Amino acid sequence: MAAWDLSIILEDLGPDTPPITLSVSSDLHVGGVIIKLVEKTQMKRDWSDYALWWEQKQQWLLRTAWTLEKYGIHADARLLFIPQHKPLKLGLPSGMTLKVWASFSSPVFQAVMTICRILNIRHPEELSLLRPLEEKKKKKDKDKVGEIYDLTGVRPAKGTQPVSLYNDVPAHFADSAEMEAIYKMLSVTQTQPAPEIITKQYRPSSVVDKAHINGRWLDSSRCLRQQGVQENDLLWLRFKYYSFCDIEPKYDAVRLTQLYEQARWAILLEDIDCTEEEMMLFGALQYHIGKVSQSEPERMSTNAAMENLESALQSLEVKMEGGSSSASDMLDTMMAPELSDYLKIFRPKKLTLKGYKQYWFKFQDTSISYFKSKEESVGEPIQQINLKGGEVAPDVNVASQKFLIRLLIPSPEGMNEVYLRCENEQQYAHWMAGCLLASKGKSLADSSFQSEIQSIRSFLAVQKTNSGSSSHTLASDESMNTHSLVSPRYHKKYKPKQLTPRILEAYQNISQLSMTDAMMRFLQTWQALPDFGISYVVVRFKGSRKDEVLGIASNRLIRIDLGVGDVVKTWRYNNMKQWNVNWDIRQVAIEFEGNVNVAFSCVTADCKIVHEFIGGYIFMSTRSREKSGTLNEELFHKLTGGHEAL
Amino acid sequence: MDDIDAMFSDLLGEMDLLTQSLGQETVPPASVPGPTEEPNFSIGFTDLNESLNELEDNDLDALMADLVADLNATEERLAAQIEELQVPSPPPPHKSPTNIQHCAASPESLTSNNSGSNASTPSSSTTSPFPPPPPKSSKPTMEEIEAQVKADKIKLALEKLKEAKVKKLVVKVLMNDGSAKTLMVDERQTVREVLDNMFEKTHCDCNVDWSLCETNHELQLQRTFEDHENLVEPLLAWTRDSENKVLFQEIGEKYEVFKNPQNFYLWKKDKKTLKDFKDKDKEILIQENFCGTSIIVPDLEGVLHLKEDGKKSWKQRLFQLRASGIYYVSKGKTKSSRDLVCFVQFDNVNVYYGKDFKNKYKAPTDFCFVFKHPQIQKESQYIKYLCCDDAWSMNLWVTGIRIAKYGASLYEDYKTAEKKAAMSSKWTNRCMPSSSNTSTPSPTIKAKSPGQANGHAPKPQPEPFSQDVGNLPPPPPPLDGVLPPPPPSLAAKLSARNSFSKRHLLNKFPPPPSAIDNNLPPPPPPPPVDDTEEPPQFLPPPPPVAGFASLPPPPPVAGFASLPPPPPVAGIGSLPPPPVMSTLPPPPPPMNSLPPLPASFRDMGQSLPPPPPAREVFQSPPPQTVFIGSGAPPPPPPPPPPPPCAATKVVAPRSALYTPGSLKKTPPAPPKRSTPSLHGGGGGGGGGDGGGGDFMSELMLAMQKKRSDH
Repeated sequence: MAAWDLSIILEDLGPDTPPITLSVSSDLHVGGVIIKLVEKTQMKRDWSDYALWWEQKQQWLLRTAWTLEKYGIHADARLLFIPQHKPLKLGLPSGMTLKVWASFSSPVFQAVMTICRILNIRHPEELSLLRPLEEKKKKKDKDKVGEIYDLTGVRPAKGTQPVSLYNDVPAHFADSAEMEAIYKMLSVTQTQPAPEIITKQYRPSSVVDKAHINGRWLDSSRCLRQQGVQENDLLWLRFKYYSFCDIEPKYDAVRLTQLYEQARWAILLEDIDCTEEEMMLFGALQYHIGKVSQSEPERMSTNAAMENLESALQSLEVKMEGGSSSASDMLDTMMAPELSDYLKIFRPKKLTLKGYKQYWFKFQDTSISYFKSKEESVGEPIQQINLKGGEVAPDVNVASQKFLIRLLIPSPEGMNEVYLRCENEQQYAHWMAGCLLASKGKSLADSSFQSEIQSIRSFLAVQKTNSGSSSHTLASDESMNTHSLVSPRYHKKYKPKQLTPRILEAYQNISQLSMTDAMMRFLQTWQALPDFGISYVVVRFKGSRKDEVLGIASNRLIRIDLGVGDVVKTWRYNNMKQWNVNWDIRQVAIEFEGNVNVAFSCVTADCKIVHEFIGGYIFMSTRSREKSGTLNEELFHKLTGGHEAL
Repeated sequence: MDDIDAMFSDLLGEMDLLTQSLGQETVPPASVPGPTEEPNFSIGFTDLNESLNELEDNDLDALMADLVADLNATEERLAAQIEELQVPSPPPPHKSPTNIQHCAASPESLTSNNSGSNASTPSSSTTSPFPPPPPKSSKPTMEEIEAQVKADKIKLALEKLKEAKVKKLVVKVLMNDGSAKTLMVDERQTVREVLDNMFEKTHCDCNVDWSLCETNHELQLQRTFEDHENLVEPLLAWTRDSENKVLFQEIGEKYEVFKNPQNFYLWKKDKKTLKDFKDKDKEILIQENFCGTSIIVPDLEGVLHLKEDGKKSWKQRLFQLRASGIYYVSKGKTKSSRDLVCFVQFDNVNVYYGKDFKNKYKAPTDFCFVFKHPQIQKESQYIKYLCCDDAWSMNLWVTGIRIAKYGASLYEDYKTAEKKAAMSSKWTNRCMPSSSNTSTPSPTIKAKSPGQANGHAPKPQPEPFSQDVGNLPPPPPPLDGVLPPPPPSLAAKLSARNSFSKRHLLNKFPPPPSAIDNNLPPPPPPPPVDDTEEPPQFLPPPPPVAGFASLPPPPPVAGFASLPPPPPVAGIGSLPPPPVMSTLPPPPPPMNSLPPLPASFRDMGQSLPPPPPAREVFQSPPPQTVFIGSGAPPPPPPPPPPPPCAATKVVAPRSALYTPGSLKKTPPAPPKRSTPSLHGGGGGGGGGDGGGGDFMSELMLAMQKKRSDH
């Protein structure tokens, strides 16, 4: 066979270096070309990660046994000999930026799997890579280049078995203290962003804006290089499919944290709508999580054995409590802290009492009794108020030294309003804590009494700094701005000091949650929002003259009127018989049971993205059935690959 | 009458035995023999005496049995405790005496506080069902670690104190047919447990729809209790003079969402689609909405009528249900989430159905529901009223609200209820063949069984049974062979009237099963049937003798256990205050020898802690262990308020095994089910007679009186 010249560019030698020319024949296989090339360079190095990239066709020549002829390569082919793995900047949901070693030659799906393996995130199929917003990128380049944590040194062991943890840290992070520190950052939530930062971030203001975001997902069946991603480019790693399998806080430290971060930002940036009440709860949870995560890092670092022991002890304790009565519980009852003091009472609805009157108050079990004076507290109280089942609301203004507890006490006739006025913070924290516990049917003896007092105090501290004359520039741990807990809409609507009591109100119900529980609660509340988990794409239905929105959720497709925002129609996947994509006219056609046929073309996203979403969700729904922990990559590819899969 | 008396004394003897085998919960066989009365139950009692007088005899019997069992348990426990305490060192012993006082006192406080309502009466809060914790084991170590012991003792004493505080109510539960059942409920019991109790008592088919409901007479409200709720707490909120009631009914809507989730989650679809919905798709829906990380609330939105505060008018608004509450769209605003106005959040309120609001509040329709704090019992501005256009949308909303409020517990409740129902239907299926052999005519059963079977093919094999049961106690293994028919002789004696023979037969028929029924399906005589007020049923018809003959000897006692006959007065005296405690009575008399009736009664007091002798005889260890394992209350002393199912189980095997031989002796465990069914009828409230003792004698007297009336 005739020999001809094939020129290959070796990028490593510098841009100006002329290509290396080899004399080859068409029946030479790719492996042979590489051997020739390496010989010719006469450079001694590890070439194992290098492969040939065919520039015109945007294609890797990874099958070394294939001949040039089979690939269809002729002398005019522009071939590059380059490494398959390159560093990539990765933006995480938490806002952290990492530099990781990523594969530019394998499908994005696999690249993400590897990345997740490095980060110790289970169920990588739920995540994917998203191109960041351009406009934002520019800004970022200008004002702030956040710190980039370099993880390019990390190469986890290959394989599919779960990452082994060593002291709660994956082995590949345990090499050095710095690496361990990075891992901790990944698995602990970030401090609350300053309100200015939230305001500055891009916020989608309409469904169409949200739809545009979904046009930026990378194609999971093609590789990074094929999609124009260059070395050191920034991509976002995000949860793409809102179907979170088997979250297990014990193994999912990073996954849970990042998921929480993504949810938190979705709320803060109004990516998903919620009501004011819900926003306050989200705010309270964020506050709580932030506070606990600062006090808990120690715990995270205790070694695994200790932790196991601890949890074993705890569960033992639980067992011994045997449900209703534990010994310590009862001892507590016996030694319940006493709470009695002079407070002022006011009953807004009753005309008999004008203004606040001072009495001697005493806390007993879940009731408050009051007496004329301390001396008379031995006898019958003037009245006893049982707080159980009641509502307790704070009305506090530190600046004006107002410490009011508003009680709503149920009785057969209705609810009675009672206000208790405390003199100072100290008194308030104790009585408020007592009232909160009592309203839940717990006495002061409850173990949470002290921590309740603490959390009330620290919340007061927040208000203090907020209402103080100094501007809220400090973002130190204690002085958090309540504006950083809610979306910008509420920055305008409420001043921090108005916001504090509302968040505090919501906070009451969750103040005793552990960090993990609080995160889980946040996620659950998020998932319970009506619009949760819907990815929007603007489409044009066949036969329709206007653009409409297609919402893609984990179990259904939703047709939404673009003008009004109303749901026009929903189709559930389990009624779906088949879906097809006509790649030539870029049209998706779906057939549902009962002879329902739908077809549409996609406006804001490539139809491959829509196809992948649908196939991806169907893949997600198959997971629970096959319990094995192994990921059925092939099935995923079949369902999402489109014509590449054929 | 004589006959009856004789029968009673007979029964008394039985009871005695029963009580001795403490610790077992009995399932009261449905039928209570004894003179039956017309159902003239009046609902609001003013005082204890009256209420007692009003009670049906069989109610009284049941009550007695419960009380006795209860007392015994307490005494035994106390005795054990005292012994314990004395051995080691003096400090705590003090406590136990005090404790007793406590007990006596507490009912009073109870009464004064609450109750008084017809349904709830404070009853003897005497018994502390809880077994003293770790005594035995700690004993040996005592010498070594004194401190430890001391701590233990303190713990124990504390526990007793706590125990004494446990509130109990006597609750009268009304049935569909107007009759009533009375039972004692302690504050730790969930509605599920009480339902199980009712199943035992009524032998209904145990399907998942059976519910306890509360009605509020004044506000014209009704609410179905959720199975995981505690029953006592809401009842305590009733006012003294309230005419509220507790009903035992089948409420189809209760778990409809799990049977036809599409009607709730896809309510917008057309009717035909919903009707033809495939089971597989239903499963998927449940999976999606109840089995994920988060419970998904149906997406409800619609125009409802809202009763404006303090006004008589109703105003239309567009409401939306979310997991966090109900919201409405305020005037001139959009439907977007951030503009919604919160109407109500569910943390502190319950949702109730309104009855006849068209009349009462001039509502546009009668399909109203209401939110209020459970404690509110009268008209108040804090009650929120909504009105729907039709029954279906009301059901949608109320169900949606329950999902939002109770979340995962609702599904858990359903699964538990379903398990129970499945078990019971299996049980019936198993029993049926044998029963039908004997008594062909059993129409009731037949009628019921299809319903019960409910898709569950009758599976005769024992294995599946236990598997299905899960942690529930396995059914008595020997059942197959053993189905012990009622002892003919006994039955004959008992049956004063034959009138209702066939049905009755069925009832009695598989007595062992009945004992089990807590978890097992009781043979399903029509539920109301066995009720107190229906006299005929109780009378065990003797007729079937022929049929029975072929059956294995009857373990009849099981049936009777629950009916403690009115004890002779003499017996009473000795009963209440059990001074005997200090001398720990040795195990009860050997089973074989039937103790003379009156004496036996007395025995009860003395021979408190009867390690049921029978036990060894029947090797029924497996059930027992199971029982314990299943999370039932601690084993040592008889666990009074244990989940009925567990307890029952223990009993069951026993009686089954026992069959051969002396019918009478086999004590089907004592009749203290978790909630001893006391009848307090509500009146007691006012009375507030102190200790259990008083109450007991009161009871006795009442019974006596009743009888003499005849």
